[in-house]
Amino acid sequence: MAAPKVLVVDDEPHLRVFIAAVFRSAGCETATAANGSQGLEKAREMRPDLVSLDLMMPGEGGLKMYRGLREDDVLRAVPVLIVSAVSPGAFAHSLAMLRASLPEGLAAPEGFVEKPPEPERLLAEARRLLGGALHGD
Amino acid sequence: MAERILLVDDEEGIRKVLGLSLRDAGHTVFTAGCGEEAVAVFARERPSIVLTDIKMPGMDGIEVLGRVKAADPDAEVIMITGHGDLDLAIESIKRQAADFVTKPINQDVLEIALARAAERSALRRQVREHTRNLERLVEEKTRELLAAERFAAVGRTAAGLSHAIKNIASGLEGAIFLLERGREPAMREYLDEGWSMLKSSVERIKGLSLELLRLSGRTMLCIGAHDPDRPAREAVELFLPRAQELGVRLTLSCGAGFGNCLFDLEAMHRCLVNLVANALDACGELEEGGGAVSVASARVGGRLEYRVADTGPGMSEAVRSRVFTELFSTKGGRGTGLGLLTAKQTAEAHGGSIAVSSEPGGGALFVVAIPARDAPPDAV
Repeated sequence: MAAPKVLVVDDEPHLRVFIAAVFRSAGCETATAANGSQGLEKAREMRPDLVSLDLMMPGEGGLKMYRGLREDDVLRAVPVLIVSAVSPGAFAHSLAMLRASLPEGLAAPEGFVEKPPEPERLLAEARRLLGGALHGD
Repeated sequence: MAERILLVDDEEGIRKVLGLSLRDAGHTVFTAGCGEEAVAVFARERPSIVLTDIKMPGMDGIEVLGRVKAADPDAEVIMITGHGDLDLAIESIKRQAADFVTKPINQDVLEIALARAAERSALRRQVREHTRNLERLVEEKTRELLAAERFAAVGRTAAGLSHAIKNIASGLEGAIFLLERGREPAMREYLDEGWSMLKSSVERIKGLSLELLRLSGRTMLCIGAHDPDRPAREAVELFLPRAQELGVRLTLSCGAGFGNCLFDLEAMHRCLVNLVANALDACGELEEGGGAVSVASARVGGRLEYRVADTGPGMSEAVRSRVFTELFSTKGGRGTGLGLLTAKQTAEAHGGSIAVSSEPGGGALFVVAIPARDAPPDAV
């Protein structure tokens, strides 16, 4: 099986390096982007198997990218893992807000990890979403 | 009720007789033999009622009435009129006299006049008391509201801080992960990355706690005589490389020169560094890239003005109203919201102010203005 491809989108350079390193350590191929529009471009280019996305980026970057992914015929099925500094409770709320702001029938993000992200949590979610064993299991 | 009464009459006999009977009735009585003396005694003793003859040589009773009412609108003035002075009596009522009694003075009439005057002034006192109570009530409620608002601000501040600290914690978590992995021979490159992540996370914690410290204490300014253009020049020089990296045009225009001014160079430097860093970050948010930041120093009237303008995405009214009052950041994970709070503190500690004008999509302009205090020629 080819190595799963993960796209890491975060405005914080350290987190890009860190999260990408976590996925690489589990045998994934990774690419990074610093904002939503860059992220969409990269996603169309590399066709990732998973997108790790920070929703709280300057401007509407994160949200815009999420919509962009869900409205793209090819990328629609790619699972999205939200990595965010908001607490799970607050995330449920912002998810409801997100749903309200999205066109009807748009799927919610598949996973959520609270910042600071722990490597084990990231990999556990990735394992669940990629539906297969990662390297190192 | 016992009143403090000033009795004014040019006839000594009347002052004596009337004075006696008023004192008998329990009042405190001061007397004056002419208008001028009456004004002086009134100013000294502040009686609540003035009883004055209307016709006197020199300053007459109408004039005394005017002076008393001008000095204390709450004092009541009763006129003593002679037979046939009705026109004068009416004139004095028009000028706010409480009442008039005619000579020869009937004791009962005088008592009624005094009682009415006392009542009027008691009523007025009551109204004033109520008003004061109302004011106190409003003041109390305002204080409570302010306290509640401060609590809310503390809550928002804590939330903002927690966000900033979480992001630093993420950096530390990342550093630990990278350093651990980097110990494996095949992952050497992680060591460098982890190491730099650790260093910069520690820097950020230090920076955050320093900013908090500055914010919590009263700002002690270290005033010296400096070239007023210098903080603007230095802030721009500091950020030129970063601007180049971002593809932002960073320009400087110095116009505050001609002699040193008294201000805290270090604090003003920090203030402008914060503003320029924000402006560059704002331009960095432009998805199409580019953008421009201009920094200017000038003397406008008696003030030193530092202007930092950017062509970034601008701010909404809601954002504008919050930037100076709480830890508020538009920079996602990177901002703490402390920069503008300290900038405001610096401006205000100098007796100046900071203002922002911005529209969504229209960039932003921050203006720091402080009084331009010229340094004496020998100051260093």
